[in-house]
Amino acid sequence: MNTRRHFLQSSTALIALPFLESLGFRRFASAAPVATPPKRLIFLGFGWGITEATWYPDITKPGPDYELPLGLKPLERHRKDFSVVQGLWNKYSNEGHWGSTMWLTGANRYAQPGQSFHNSISADQVAAAQLGLQTRFASLQWNGTEKGDGGHGPGLSLAWDISGKPLGGQTGPVEAFHRLFAKDTMPLAQQKALLTKKRSVLDAVLDNAKSLQRGLARQDNAKLDEYFQGIRDIETRLSKEEQWLEIPRPNAPIPPPEATVVGSGFEEIRLMYDLMIAAMQTDSTRVLTFRQPVASLLISLGIKIHPHDMSHYHSVGGEKLDASQRRDTAQSELLAGFLDKLKSTREADGSSLFDHVALAYGSNLRTGHELTNCPTLLTGRGAGLKLGHSIVAPKDTPLCNAWLTMLHGIGVEAERHGDSTGVLQEILA
Amino acid sequence: MNRRVLLALISWSFPCLGHASDPAPPTLDAKHRGLFENYCVSCHGPEKQKGKFRLDDLPLSITNLETAERWQKVLNQLNSGEMPPEGEKQLPNAAKTDFLDDLSNAMVAARRTLADQNGLITMRRLNRREYQNTLRDLLGVETPVAELPPDTGTGGFDTFGANLFLSSNQIEQYQSLGLRALDDAFLRSASPVGLQKQAGEAKDAEFVLNRNRQVDRIHAPGLTKVHYECEQGNAKVSDFVKWTIERRNQAEAWVKAFKEAAAKPENAALADKLRKEAKSEQALYEHWGKLGAPSPKDFGFGLDGASGSDQALQARADYGQKYHEYYLGLSDLDRGAYLGCLIQHPAELALGFLQLPVPREWTSGHFIFRVRIGAAPNARPEQRFLEIGTHPRIGRVTSTFEVRGTIQDPQILEMPFSLTKDMTDNGDRMLFIREKGSWDNNEQGFRRRGEAAKRNGIGPEAVLWVDWMEIERVPDPAAASPGMKALGIPFEDSAKVSLEDVRAALERFCAAAFRGMEPPASFLEKLTSLYDTQRQSGVRHGAALKETLSTVLASPMFLYLAEPVHDEKRHTLTGVELANRLSYFLWSAPPDETLLALGKSGELLQPEVLAKQTARLLESGRAEAFVHDFVHQWLGLDRLDFFQVNHLLYPRFDDATKLNARREIFETFAHLLKHNAPLSDLLKSDYVVVNHLLADFYGLEGVKGDAFQKVSLPAGSPRGGLLGMAAVHFMGGNGERTNPVERGAWVLRKLLNDPPPPAPANVPQLARLAGKVLSTRERMQAHQEDAQCASCHRKIDPLGFGLENFDAAGQWRTEDSYQLKDAKGKPVPDTLKTWPIEARATLHKGPSFADFFELRDLIASKSDAFAKGFSTALLEYALGRSVGFRDEPLLSSMCTKAKEERLGLRAFIHTLVASPEFRTK
Repeated sequence: MNTRRHFLQSSTALIALPFLESLGFRRFASAAPVATPPKRLIFLGFGWGITEATWYPDITKPGPDYELPLGLKPLERHRKDFSVVQGLWNKYSNEGHWGSTMWLTGANRYAQPGQSFHNSISADQVAAAQLGLQTRFASLQWNGTEKGDGGHGPGLSLAWDISGKPLGGQTGPVEAFHRLFAKDTMPLAQQKALLTKKRSVLDAVLDNAKSLQRGLARQDNAKLDEYFQGIRDIETRLSKEEQWLEIPRPNAPIPPPEATVVGSGFEEIRLMYDLMIAAMQTDSTRVLTFRQPVASLLISLGIKIHPHDMSHYHSVGGEKLDASQRRDTAQSELLAGFLDKLKSTREADGSSLFDHVALAYGSNLRTGHELTNCPTLLTGRGAGLKLGHSIVAPKDTPLCNAWLTMLHGIGVEAERHGDSTGVLQEILA
Repeated sequence: MNRRVLLALISWSFPCLGHASDPAPPTLDAKHRGLFENYCVSCHGPEKQKGKFRLDDLPLSITNLETAERWQKVLNQLNSGEMPPEGEKQLPNAAKTDFLDDLSNAMVAARRTLADQNGLITMRRLNRREYQNTLRDLLGVETPVAELPPDTGTGGFDTFGANLFLSSNQIEQYQSLGLRALDDAFLRSASPVGLQKQAGEAKDAEFVLNRNRQVDRIHAPGLTKVHYECEQGNAKVSDFVKWTIERRNQAEAWVKAFKEAAAKPENAALADKLRKEAKSEQALYEHWGKLGAPSPKDFGFGLDGASGSDQALQARADYGQKYHEYYLGLSDLDRGAYLGCLIQHPAELALGFLQLPVPREWTSGHFIFRVRIGAAPNARPEQRFLEIGTHPRIGRVTSTFEVRGTIQDPQILEMPFSLTKDMTDNGDRMLFIREKGSWDNNEQGFRRRGEAAKRNGIGPEAVLWVDWMEIERVPDPAAASPGMKALGIPFEDSAKVSLEDVRAALERFCAAAFRGMEPPASFLEKLTSLYDTQRQSGVRHGAALKETLSTVLASPMFLYLAEPVHDEKRHTLTGVELANRLSYFLWSAPPDETLLALGKSGELLQPEVLAKQTARLLESGRAEAFVHDFVHQWLGLDRLDFFQVNHLLYPRFDDATKLNARREIFETFAHLLKHNAPLSDLLKSDYVVVNHLLADFYGLEGVKGDAFQKVSLPAGSPRGGLLGMAAVHFMGGNGERTNPVERGAWVLRKLLNDPPPPAPANVPQLARLAGKVLSTRERMQAHQEDAQCASCHRKIDPLGFGLENFDAAGQWRTEDSYQLKDAKGKPVPDTLKTWPIEARATLHKGPSFADFFELRDLIASKSDAFAKGFSTALLEYALGRSVGFRDEPLLSSMCTKAKEERLGLRAFIHTLVASPEFRTK
């Protein structure tokens, strides 16, 4: 359909569609495994922060020989393979309950005159725009099963698109598994007909949108742009679906998760990590984010305290402090298990997944309403990061400097990101 | 500008000037300059600009984003305690407190001013509620909207266009939700209730019972009603008792045989040795084989592969036999069953409730559930309430009913409900009834059972007797829905419909779906060709039609509330646009035929017609959407669902009471609306709006029935108005302890229209009191020590102290206590501190009060501020945008007009609807 590009240009903004419909792409996509395994980027974010007194290494003694703090003890076996970075923050963040909204964007919610909320593209999406062209999914953004906003703040996942709008994703392991491995049993001809139908649907609603647009004021037009953007996103996805139509979905390397695991806290997080491994093994995507659950994690640990209450343990200590520390330990155990698997999963060339991954684990929130010295743990050998160190960056260094460094490390071209002021030399090997 | 005026401006209580000129920007008092000059400018001034930051040239008026960002930096540095640095001269506490107070409020005001759109309303999509209601009105079906992304999160009402994003997969979600709604509507229009029942086809319903006495499923082919006589389950109780007795006898026989074998002289040495090695008495019995005792299998134990000896030993327990025999001895079991107490695992025998599943044949639709019930003579007053809900195992209670019938003269209770096709989960389709408060959760249920057993040696008395339960389908609105009527063509696959007829049907359907907006011809062409292409590729008529219609339901003209204009000037709304704005304001749904007709003819533009329609919409039952959804957001009631009450600490605040306490807020507001009663009644009143159940909780006598009604209060009652409501006080705690800060901030935000700035980030936490045994007030004193805390808490905390007589469940109390808890949550011995409640306090820069009653009077005297806050919320909700400086005249006139009618609730709404702001775009 040569009219597709024409129709996209005719809406309010022009976006470049990937020119991948050609045979050249098909050859590429179905080619034998490339010699060098691809780079991957992973962000794991949790709401409500950590226990500040027992999670950070001693800030006065940076270096490789630091004493592993209580909250990171379960990671002992990996201590040479990750670094904790202190001194990072998002300087515009002012919301004491938003652990994830601006974590990967560094945006200023008030940057847009006349708007009370604004956000910008997240680091994972910057990577997805470049690394996502070769995989079935440009990126996957996953959420934990959680009631309420879970200390994450507004957003539908950790990811925000190029216009700063929230990007949705899959919630819980059942949805995530389905997204990755659900087999389409429909015959090819029917699938093609389905794609054609979906495009006719898009064509119709686009026509409707354009009619509506004719009478709109500037402000409203900007609102309707979201709808046009939605159509373009679907269009991009349909093109991608078309390219992948004849390439069957990979076989799942793990069994489908039971429905009972949804919302099970500890177990759910563990399974989501397994699914991330599976997504990378099958090269379904190279960019993954996971907005982790906290409330259900607490419940699975037998803790009855509300997570927000827990994060304000300072004034009473006792069981709230204990809950906060047990949360840290559980999260570190889960991460340690994930690292085990990243290391033991082999690539075609004999190296491990761990060798090609850049992973950040943390939150925009420290403890309570604290937004400085955001908890940040970096790992994976895919981005040339310095591992095995307690690193202390100059106070109030933009978190986005770390994200920019990681992006560069995995070969993503970006001049800057968010409020970055440059590459963070301290974290480079 | 002096400080007084500044604060007035910041809290948006600026007196109306009669005209709206450019707003004065939020400005800091010049007196603070002295503070910087003494403490900051030496490092951040003309000579030095440490951190590249200069303070002396920072304007006191915050007029642009850059200035706002620089002040934000100052605020952040002071809040985090980083500036001035250690070793430098520190700001005096009092001056710092005042400055932080001013600055944080000025920043809130500046953020608002800078986001002010001069009254511009952003076009918006339907929010989740409106989308659901709109589909219901169009197709007569319910839609599960929880799968759509939430509409709130960045603050403000869920009607704020600027905040209602559309994320990229949402268009497809709308199409798939629309398709499901159409599926349902088609199905139900094809075989509406009544048609299903054809002569000769209808049989009696078949009830399949579990061994636990409950109805597991019902087959009801061709039926529109199922009727279950509850006595049918009683046989299962006696079966269970018989079975346990048999088992016990068998078990005793085997144990006896075992003992005899072990006692044989030739076994003595071996038995001795085994007894010594065994970890428990029970473990010894596992060696029956070695001792030559008979196999437990011969006695019926261990047949399933589990340990036979264990099973036999367990079978000697009493299995609640006493309670079950007590049950079987109750009267009138030949014609009904009782709601008793859970004694066994519910899979074995479930006496705590009675359940009734909706027959599988009834996939979706509207139903009535009926129960014929009566209370036994020995039922205590608090036991004469019934809970109805779904998911009997979890116990999702949705409503409560007072039981006034007796076993001899039972009454029939009715509850309407509806099901959607998506509700395929068994629990969603399983209704159950049980006595109020009998089993809110296991912890509470076990305790209640134990207490009763201690008292009477048996367990909780079964006092509610149920004759029968039934479910009836009600005539289906789907077939008669405007959408299906507009379609007007057959949709069976076998039907022969020409393409012209399909096109005409699509046009009619679009007209109904677009709420008065003309469907564009080019769109109809595309739709027709979408239908046609599918037909060409072999898709059947019905499916192709549904797919095409679902495209209509995913198109912007359906999803957006658009009010097109052709330039940037303000325009009067057209009649149709006004009809839509009004009905989405008061019904959260599209206009009905009457309203739309008045809109189309233009009559609605006449003020008296508009006023009349406003009154009509408010009087309609559909205004419940406004009452519920506006009040929920205005008063911040989402906190009601943030936590569970501790049932052990507050046994009287059971789930049923919480359900009714929540309703009290809505019912009170609805009462004010209905009677045009003064808004100020929400601050203080000599009456409450309660039903029998809640009256009992408040200790009010003589209230009967489930309906909420106006009840006069005795003199000196702490009830009456929001501050007397249990739900409000419950929100101001965590289900266990009260939280004076939460309560004080709520009063400032919602009642006094003087919201404190949001909790600031990066304020150092107070940790030095952790582990100390202190009264609530002693702990709160720490807030006064640091300027960062004191700047807000000096206003918040005193209000909270004045409400301390209400416990975390809203019950009146005169003392409170605190005990340290260890890391496991267990109380630490000898750390219990108990103190009498002292509600006395002094408001910041305000009067003192001696107790709750004086505080309530003080708050009640601020009805002007309350009215202003209410008007603001109303305007924001109705227009879908934040108030701006230019709204001041309207807000003032809403308050003034309402004052002329004793602050009658309707006056606010009528003034708003009649205003140019509401009637223009």
